[in-house]
Amino acid sequence: MRAAFILKAVMHNMKHRCSAVVISTISIACAFAFLSAIGNVTFGLATTAVNSSLSFPLVIGPEGSSDTQLVMSTVFNIDKPKGTLEYSVFEELIKDKRVASAFPVARADSYMGIPITGVNSDFIKEKSNGFIKLKEGFVSDNIFPESDLHRAVIGFKIAERYGLTVDDKFAGSHGHVGDENAHRHDDFQYYVAGVMNPINGPEDFSIYVNLRAVWKIHEKGDEHDDHNADNEHHEHHEGCDHGTDGEAHETLSAILVKTVNPVATSELEREYSSRSGTSATDVAKTVRRVVQYMNKAETAAGFFSYGTLLIVLAMVFVTMVMAINERKKEMAMMRTLGIGKLPISLTVMIESMIITVAGVLAGVVLGHFILWYLKPLIDFNLGISLEPFFVTKVEIQGILVTLVSGQILSLVAMLRIYNMNLVEEVAKD
Amino acid sequence: MEVIIKGISKSYKDATGESFAVIKDLVLELKSGAVLRLKGASGSGKTTLMNIVSGLILPDSGTVKAGDFEITAMSETGRDRFRAENIGYVFQTFNLLSPFSVIENVYAPLAFAGKLPEKFEEKAIAVLNEVGLAGLEKRKIYHLSVGQRQRVCVARVLFSNPRIILADEPTASLDTESAKTVYRSIEKCRNNGSTIIFASHDRIFDDFNSDMVFDLETGRVS
Repeated sequence: MRAAFILKAVMHNMKHRCSAVVISTISIACAFAFLSAIGNVTFGLATTAVNSSLSFPLVIGPEGSSDTQLVMSTVFNIDKPKGTLEYSVFEELIKDKRVASAFPVARADSYMGIPITGVNSDFIKEKSNGFIKLKEGFVSDNIFPESDLHRAVIGFKIAERYGLTVDDKFAGSHGHVGDENAHRHDDFQYYVAGVMNPINGPEDFSIYVNLRAVWKIHEKGDEHDDHNADNEHHEHHEGCDHGTDGEAHETLSAILVKTVNPVATSELEREYSSRSGTSATDVAKTVRRVVQYMNKAETAAGFFSYGTLLIVLAMVFVTMVMAINERKKEMAMMRTLGIGKLPISLTVMIESMIITVAGVLAGVVLGHFILWYLKPLIDFNLGISLEPFFVTKVEIQGILVTLVSGQILSLVAMLRIYNMNLVEEVAKD
Repeated sequence: MEVIIKGISKSYKDATGESFAVIKDLVLELKSGAVLRLKGASGSGKTTLMNIVSGLILPDSGTVKAGDFEITAMSETGRDRFRAENIGYVFQTFNLLSPFSVIENVYAPLAFAGKLPEKFEEKAIAVLNEVGLAGLEKRKIYHLSVGQRQRVCVARVLFSNPRIILADEPTASLDTESAKTVYRSIEKCRNNGSTIIFASHDRIFDDFNSDMVFDLETGRVS
């Protein structure tokens, strides 16, 4: 009964200074939502990076490519590939006993800013987790036959974002969207042959076509040949060299390699890095480096978020102290009625506890709601598959830090009341 | 409850740091159920004496005993408990808790002490009816008039049926009707056997039957 009445008193006091309580709660909620969102996005980025790096331990690219550029442009489908690689390198690789499998990749055009990647059927077999939609009569094991170069396989998110489904047609273009120099290959349209099941990786945001289609579309004599002098355009054809004899020159952007063991990865990396015309990178090493950078960024963002949160908590504490000073007279009255120091202090402590807990809970809900709302935008722009309702380690740490600091501050407030000579307030009358 | 005050003194410091005595070597003995009226000008120490008897402040020297409790020897928590269970205070400034409703103010001291009687809400409504505040139970204090506030204060005293009542200018700034209600309530407490110490300049208390009158200015007891 006593505890119930103390709680009742807390509720009355909170109602009495409603606006301060609401502002304090909202401030904590906003700061926490920020922390929660940052934690989730960085976790999503790191997870995507690590998961994606597990598929292919080695990437071989053209000479002069940096490790990061090579991994980014092939594994994560971001950044542009630099230069081209002879197809013969791939043919040589698949004969190597240290290679379990290898997949040629050619990048050239894009659709709505999304890179179109030329691959073979084996790559799709390797990467896709089955098809959510597949054109009737098509065999998933041989999705890119030589007889039909117009087929495209798209990621789940691309289909969702652009409302593309089986049989829908689209054309690739080179140059940036909206750029006056951009050129659409309307004469060579692709049609959607299949939509891949969601993978929660960069593949969900990718468009794959037949490798030979990429070569064919950029054969010498193509209508945009006159653009070749233009450097800017040429940049967008990095993954595909234009032939000089009326046929597509068979070039690649990179080769994704699965090796038989880590020793083979190391040996092949060394060999192809030192060879003329090629470069090679160990994906795991590069991704580890990228994730380390991301972790540093996450730590910096974490410090910033915690800093914001602590400032907000300090603000709440100041508001609380101000409220105590305002209520000094009332607390003194309570003492004259025989109400002890403990129940009076407890009312203040419970009040600040409620504000902190409510702020944190509201922040968690708000943070995840914002992530859920912005998920399509974040997914697409960062190329990650975000789980908006996943509770990250950063968030759990944040909850603990906030609750503990909130309790320390309320204890300080409680001690302040405990040591206050409230009788002096009564004596002033 | 019997109240025995033995040689208490209390002094305060002024703004210059000089000490001045408010009460000096006071000796008083009040039998259980007796009524003591305190007289004296403002600043003569009436409120200080009441605060000492309630255990709210301690004297610089001397002892105060109320029944079996030696107030001056008790801990602060013990004095809080003693006050909640045995003292009924009627203040000039009401000392009501503004965030609480009328009925909550009536039972708040006992609720905080964890000493609420059974059917406490019914009892609280009954005392509110007695002081003429029927139907105002749920109203907030800041929605009441000055007279009504003092009646809530009196209802709080009646509810806890204390063994000692301290009334410090209980009818100051009240209208006649409210003053009469306060007077009747204190009279009722006296009839119930409570020991009463009060200070009032209101003429309504001139015919209040006091067992003892103590003038703090002259130190005379009559």
